[in-house]
Amino acid sequence: MTEKTYYSVGRRPWEWRLKPKGSAERVRERLPGTRRHWLKWRDIHNPKTLCRERALVDKRPLWWTIGLALIAVVTPFLQNSMISVVSIFCVYAAINVLWTLIVGTAGIFSLATLAVVGASGYIAAAANVYLGIPWPFMLLIGPLVGLVFGAVLAAPSTRLDGLYYALLTMGIAEICRVFVVQLRALTASGGAITNVDSFIPEDWFLQRPGLLLGFSGAFLLLLGALAVWRLVNTERLGMLLRVARTGREDEAFAEAVGIDFRRARFLVFVISSAALGVVGAFYAMYFRSISPQIFSLDQLLLLFAMMVIGGLGRAEGAVVGAAVVTLIDKGLVELGPARIIIVAVIMVGVTVFARDGLMGSRDQFRDFRKRKSGERRARRTEKGGEAMPEEAAEVHDKQKLYYRRFNKRLRERLKGLITPELIEEHRRDPLGHHSDELARVLNYFRRGEMADKYVIHRMVPAEERFRIMAVSGERGIPPRVVDDREYTKVKEAYHAVFLLRVNDLLES
Amino acid sequence: MDLGLVIYALNLAAIYALMAIGISILWSSVGIINMAHGATFAVSGYAALIVTGLLKPVIAAAFGKTALASIVMASAIVGSALVAGAICGAVIYLVAFLPIHDKPNFPVRALIITLGLNIATVQGLLWIFGPRNQGLPKIFGFGRWEIWGAKIRYDQAGTILGAILIMALMLAWLRFSRKGLEVRAMMQNAEGAAYSGISRQRTALPVLMLTGALAGMAAALLSQTIFVSPTAGVIPLVKGLTIALLGGLGSVPGALAGAVLVGFLEAIVGAIPILGQRYVLFSTFLFVIAVLIIRPRGIGGLLDDTRE
Repeated sequence: MTEKTYYSVGRRPWEWRLKPKGSAERVRERLPGTRRHWLKWRDIHNPKTLCRERALVDKRPLWWTIGLALIAVVTPFLQNSMISVVSIFCVYAAINVLWTLIVGTAGIFSLATLAVVGASGYIAAAANVYLGIPWPFMLLIGPLVGLVFGAVLAAPSTRLDGLYYALLTMGIAEICRVFVVQLRALTASGGAITNVDSFIPEDWFLQRPGLLLGFSGAFLLLLGALAVWRLVNTERLGMLLRVARTGREDEAFAEAVGIDFRRARFLVFVISSAALGVVGAFYAMYFRSISPQIFSLDQLLLLFAMMVIGGLGRAEGAVVGAAVVTLIDKGLVELGPARIIIVAVIMVGVTVFARDGLMGSRDQFRDFRKRKSGERRARRTEKGGEAMPEEAAEVHDKQKLYYRRFNKRLRERLKGLITPELIEEHRRDPLGHHSDELARVLNYFRRGEMADKYVIHRMVPAEERFRIMAVSGERGIPPRVVDDREYTKVKEAYHAVFLLRVNDLLES
Repeated sequence: MDLGLVIYALNLAAIYALMAIGISILWSSVGIINMAHGATFAVSGYAALIVTGLLKPVIAAAFGKTALASIVMASAIVGSALVAGAICGAVIYLVAFLPIHDKPNFPVRALIITLGLNIATVQGLLWIFGPRNQGLPKIFGFGRWEIWGAKIRYDQAGTILGAILIMALMLAWLRFSRKGLEVRAMMQNAEGAAYSGISRQRTALPVLMLTGALAGMAAALLSQTIFVSPTAGVIPLVKGLTIALLGGLGSVPGALAGAVLVGFLEAIVGAIPILGQRYVLFSTFLFVIAVLIIRPRGIGGLLDDTRE
């Protein structure tokens, strides 16, 4: 016996699956203290091999782990300048993840994110420099300021929406900038607070150990932001808000089923503002100073470009977008102003072609592929067979479908053969020796189904009087009369039947 | 309040109204918040600069130093700015409207694309022309009239009259022409307009070119007062957007009223000694925020529920 060859079949033959023993018990571990599972495993029964399989349905946690681990492992081996680029990337990514929480989860189009970061950074830095509060307390002051500022900002968001709110928050950022620039105490340094105490010792500042320490702090900040994102977006608050996400109908629906989505939005906004406050305090400590540049429109647009390039409303989009833009903006400094143009061009390109940023392109491609295959299927059925896809799924005997398809194609061919000359030929001699075309057409007619087949009725009393009837195709049910015309010659009757059949063929 | 202040306020209001009406009409008919309006503004300024630079010797040779020469110069400035603005509008149509107008998330994506265009254009202008401020030839000449003790500069008066003229022309076009009727139908109800056979694609192009030309006109007029520079468009864009929102997006009378209000507010704040020019933007934003909190859809806007 020759050896069997197995071909990998199915839609995703490359997909990696566990194959547990059929007798093995099903064990799913939970996160301690909760009812959540670590990973989303699903038990699947493979219909071809009849084996039990386990598939990892949601692979995103794996990608997150791989990506973050890569950053953590690779960065300490980089040059000094690249370490600071990665640290800035971590800070920006943290801000973006929290901003995503506001824009995506809460659905509030706020542009005051950097204003919250800046305000809490400024107040924490001022507390450190002018009041002498030690640096660990900055990490407490920052979120407190963020909390209060966030609550003030979130209040009008229930009343205004969309662009109006965006404009309002942009105005608040501008007001903050002007306010800081106008402060008498800071005019000497152009509005900046310098000499902020930090978790990086002063003599390590801008040295390699200091940079590494700064990087580890920024990395922890990013992890913290992701944890906040996970806790808010995926747990109860995010689930509530997902009901009221897309439109005003959904909001009405959410209200009708008793979800107070306004309160949930407010809470999400305030929580992420408090977290942004931590980022602000960290920012002031990391750079050992904070300047009014943070309130500027350019900085805001850069962060916005990051979110847009990655995909609005997704945490992975925020991080990947931050990576792309930071690499271009800080990594290619020698290009000068061209790098902003590159960022803008990428932003325009991504928005024109991608529905939902770089990270949404996978879903977009799948939808595109599905649509295309549906179109192809529709074209096939339109050309070949009569059965629509839904009907074809219900017909059990697939031979019937193929017969129908064949029949339809045959009819299309025969329709092309019918000409006035052919009809004239039949009229002249219905039973004679026929041309090839006429013979084909007549053969098709003879082979037709019994139901509704035309027959010639010789009328009683026996005279040369004929009329045309159509048989019912069912036993016991007599044929019906097609029309009341009578023919005196049988050849005329033959030709009349022929004409009727031709008519039916052309109409089908 | 003296007359000079009023004229200054009206001068500001005229330019803001040109920007705000463009943004407002564009939003309510086509559904784009045009962040590239500032880029259009700056590009038109530079186009006028280049064209006048090229034409100056030609005009001097043909007409000498006559009144006719200055008229030709003025029409060259205004014409080139208008054409450049219209071309910018066509570019925005090709990049930000045509590829995505039937795709999901159109308003947000159009906003992002126009924003990207704005950034790219401003940086490109910076690259080509450098950050230097450059002056356009004066259309209206130097000098001032004295009326009741107040001094009115020619360029201020010219700006006000020119803006009023061009806005009146545009409103008349909207009111009386066939295309204007289509645009107004789309402003009222885009879906209903589509049902009655008004093509969104065909209507969007003239609207975008027209609003671009309005921005170009604003650039030509404003550069009589200030200089042409790559970032010159930012402030008019922010102001125009602010005023369009203040007036209620889609409401032309609201935008006009908003422009006049903000113009006067800025003139007054700028004239008060303790506040001064530094607090102008600050006070504008405060005012707009206050209005928006009282009337969430601006002065002339209606809430969606009310509109339905």
